[in-house]
Amino acid sequence: MSRPSKPTRHIGEPAARNLRFGWWSLLVFLSMGAVLETLQGFKIGWYLDVGNETRRLMFTLAHAHGTLLAAVNIIAGLSVRTERLTLRPSVSFALIWAAILLPAGFFLGGVITYDGDPGLGVWLVPIGAALLFYSIARIALDLSKRK
Amino acid sequence: MTQVATPDSLPADTGNIELAFNGREYKTERRGDKFFVRARSQGGSYGKPQQIVITTGSHNLQILWLETGEGRTLQQFPFAYIVPEKMWAPTLATFLIPPNVKEYYSTGAWNGGCMDCHVTQGQSRFLAGTKWDTHVAEFGIACEACHSEGRKHIELNRNPIRRFRIHLTTKSDPTVANPADMKGPESGLACGQCHSIWAFNNMTDKIDFNRHGVDFRPGADDLSQRFVVQPNTADHVEQKDFIRRTEPDFFQNRFWDDGMIRVTGREFNGVQASPCFRSGEFSCISCHEMHLDSPGQTDAKTWARTGQLRPKMDSDAACLQCHKDMSPRLVAHTHHAADSSGSRCYNCHMPRTTYGLLHAMRSHQVSSPTVHESIAYGRPNACNLCHLDQTLAWTAQYLHAWYKQPVPELSQDDRTIAAAVQWILKGDAGQRALITWGMGWESAQKIAGSDWLYPYLIYSMVDPYPAVRFDAWKSLRTLPGFVDFPFKYTDDDHSLRETAERAYEKWQREVRNVNTVYPPETAIDSDGRVKQDVFQRLRSERDDKPIFLAE
Repeated sequence: MSRPSKPTRHIGEPAARNLRFGWWSLLVFLSMGAVLETLQGFKIGWYLDVGNETRRLMFTLAHAHGTLLAAVNIIAGLSVRTERLTLRPSVSFALIWAAILLPAGFFLGGVITYDGDPGLGVWLVPIGAALLFYSIARIALDLSKRK
Repeated sequence: MTQVATPDSLPADTGNIELAFNGREYKTERRGDKFFVRARSQGGSYGKPQQIVITTGSHNLQILWLETGEGRTLQQFPFAYIVPEKMWAPTLATFLIPPNVKEYYSTGAWNGGCMDCHVTQGQSRFLAGTKWDTHVAEFGIACEACHSEGRKHIELNRNPIRRFRIHLTTKSDPTVANPADMKGPESGLACGQCHSIWAFNNMTDKIDFNRHGVDFRPGADDLSQRFVVQPNTADHVEQKDFIRRTEPDFFQNRFWDDGMIRVTGREFNGVQASPCFRSGEFSCISCHEMHLDSPGQTDAKTWARTGQLRPKMDSDAACLQCHKDMSPRLVAHTHHAADSSGSRCYNCHMPRTTYGLLHAMRSHQVSSPTVHESIAYGRPNACNLCHLDQTLAWTAQYLHAWYKQPVPELSQDDRTIAAAVQWILKGDAGQRALITWGMGWESAQKIAGSDWLYPYLIYSMVDPYPAVRFDAWKSLRTLPGFVDFPFKYTDDDHSLRETAERAYEKWQREVRNVNTVYPPETAIDSDGRVKQDVFQRLRSERDDKPIFLAE
């Protein structure tokens, strides 16, 4: 007797995009972590000198935010499988761009620094933060509406 | 700087020491994060505990201050902690001051003197007798000490758009003073407000300073209530005459006879008197930096222990910033091998002729070595600070041949006995301290040899001045066989003599190479003994005038 086949769980295209993006992004930012460790290991002045504290902070924030937001994209992509959530295209888009702009802003802010201030690139951070806020809020609201 | 006394700011053993000095015994204890001192006359019982409330100094020497029960008036704990040696010593023995001085910086001294520079925006507020009602803005040397008042700057720069506009356009902010943007004299004065010998213009300014604090703000071109005292310049004649009348030793205790500064911590006097200063660009931050923001700057600890210099500024690069043409003709100028210590700008033009904190330090008055400075003013010249085994005549001959300097008239001793030997045997305490320290300088030992230094350093371990004894011991420890030699430089005369005798025996029996031939200029016989006739004669001529290098 053949076993009844499991119902096919279809992941919507936006969710699949977030899942793909999440894993690739995780790869990029974990690799960045390895690069930062290497800069530490070889005592590279451009990263470690006392006067480069802002750069160190910015790169650390870029690494942490990039990794965390990659995981958020993966979780969002997988959450669709619970069939309690449908990822709107706008939310999918906002999550991906938040995961790009936030770490990119921190990273670019660390490439050129002005004394205690990061470089101009840091202005990408509030844009990314707004996109992240929108997407998380939207997901929370959508989930709350479903019974 | 000044710090509140805490377990972090005080030496590790502060809560558990027992010391004796001048017939009194002191015992410390720790209660929680607070530290207390009890004192008693020898054999008596301990008195009321006094809390240690603040400490001044951090890199070289830490001096502790005790509550007195008289408001904010502080009293000095009579022992200082020598940071590099990790040892306590009577504070009197950490300054180059005559051995018969029994009190230096006592009750109220911090309020009336030290805090003028060891805090930010202090107000001494003298009340009466030895009572003070002192206030400070910050104990450390904080932002406003160098950058002037910061309230407006802080308020305006909460706005990130303003900050970025400055970063991308003018790069300088008119709401705050920045020594890096100032011309040399103003920039130098921002440091020189403390790092100089200064005096008040008049009694009114002194009272105003005492009540309301310093009027000077970084960026100004004079010290307002005060002025930088240069003995031989034409300014402030009336005030300098007043000082000469009321404090006859003021200049002698701070300057060489030609007006060059001889105490450490007052480097701006030297900078201001340097020919480089006339360019209008040269200042302290030509070589030093306070924020460690130059590329290549290492960790804060190293920076703090190496003169707070910008990267590579401990090399010729410091001078070559301006004297760019010197690089290709270095050897023609120095007449020394390019990679030798004789070709390092600092060694000839900023020799170690200032003294304080128990060590010799580089003069910050950029000058060229002459034999005249040694004969006329008693200041060891750069050549003989390295060529310790050579005579002044030898130096004069080379300075004449290489730089056309006139050869001064020299005594028989100056032609036959090494200048360093003369300074250590018949010099004043200031000269002796510089030479005993200099004998531990690696570059000098390489050039002049070190075999002959032992007997002179051992002899100096019984010098009447504790600071000289300390430097002699430190230098002796740089020589083979004496790296771990124990010596308590504050011991009584009998113990000092015993230790010196032990050191001499050790050198003669265990360390000295019997085949060593000593240059005649060192006045040491082939058996390793200082020639007695020379020793006795020079020793009897020793300049015993009291030396009080007021840091």
